[in-house]
Amino acid sequence: MSFTQPKEDKKLEEALVREFQGGNLEAYDKIAEIYQKKIYGLSFNLTRNQMDAQDVTQEVLLTLFRKIHTFQGKSAFSSWVYRITLNASYMKLRSKKKEPNVSIDELMPSFNGAGFQQEKIQDWSENTESLLFTNETRDVINKAIDLLPEKEKVVFLLRDVEGLSTEKAGEILDLTVPAVKSRLHRARLFLRKKLANYFEEFTSRKVEK
Amino acid sequence: MICCKECLDLLYDYIEGSLDQETTDSLEEHFQECPPCISFMKTYKSTTTICRDTLNQVQVPDAVREALLKVLKENKEHPGEN
Repeated sequence: MSFTQPKEDKKLEEALVREFQGGNLEAYDKIAEIYQKKIYGLSFNLTRNQMDAQDVTQEVLLTLFRKIHTFQGKSAFSSWVYRITLNASYMKLRSKKKEPNVSIDELMPSFNGAGFQQEKIQDWSENTESLLFTNETRDVINKAIDLLPEKEKVVFLLRDVEGLSTEKAGEILDLTVPAVKSRLHRARLFLRKKLANYFEEFTSRKVEK
Repeated sequence: MICCKECLDLLYDYIEGSLDQETTDSLEEHFQECPPCISFMKTYKSTTTICRDTLNQVQVPDAVREALLKVLKENKEHPGEN
């Protein structure tokens, strides 16, 4: 499930960064082109706002231009970019009134005394395809992601959406691998529960027909 | 014999393929006797897929792309003014 950057891409990127550090502005243009979509996508998914995502992308690309000499190559260049993107997105979020988050614990699975699941679990995994890219489904998914507490949300976005490895997400967020795993698992349980309400209803509608 | 709670706790590592053989065997033994946990596992997995496919659809709008290009160009010509 995890995506690792192909070796050639990584080498090319390292070469571009060195060239840019040496003053080659064309190398910067290529770096900006490679990262623009990633920066915009991550900040949009965090802020849910086009203007904010545009501001963040601009700020990050300018920071890369101005601060490239401070990048020492101790971690991967992409980790550095992701970290700057997260900080800029958080600044945007902090400046806004925050909706109270729902308690994630309330949506965790519940068990009886013997350790068996208490609720009825339906398998809707086969019924998602026809619904996947409808506006209604997209809204349900976006709302569910919005409700995730920030700690869990950022891990989910880096690991499951951006496809980074657990180790890399930990490096970016300064978290241990077990901490990344535990937050990701909680995020997935929370989202599964939120999506279950929607897809189960659709599945039962389909059976009735 | 493991219970549903333990089963769900192991789900993450099971899907990653990082459980040892013995734990994998007892988890699969649980699945054989517990259809709800199979449903849970399948829907847990598809939650990730569905969310990833949806959120990865975000594209940089053309207007944003153009605005960014303009800013970057100005910045290169007159660094430090934005």
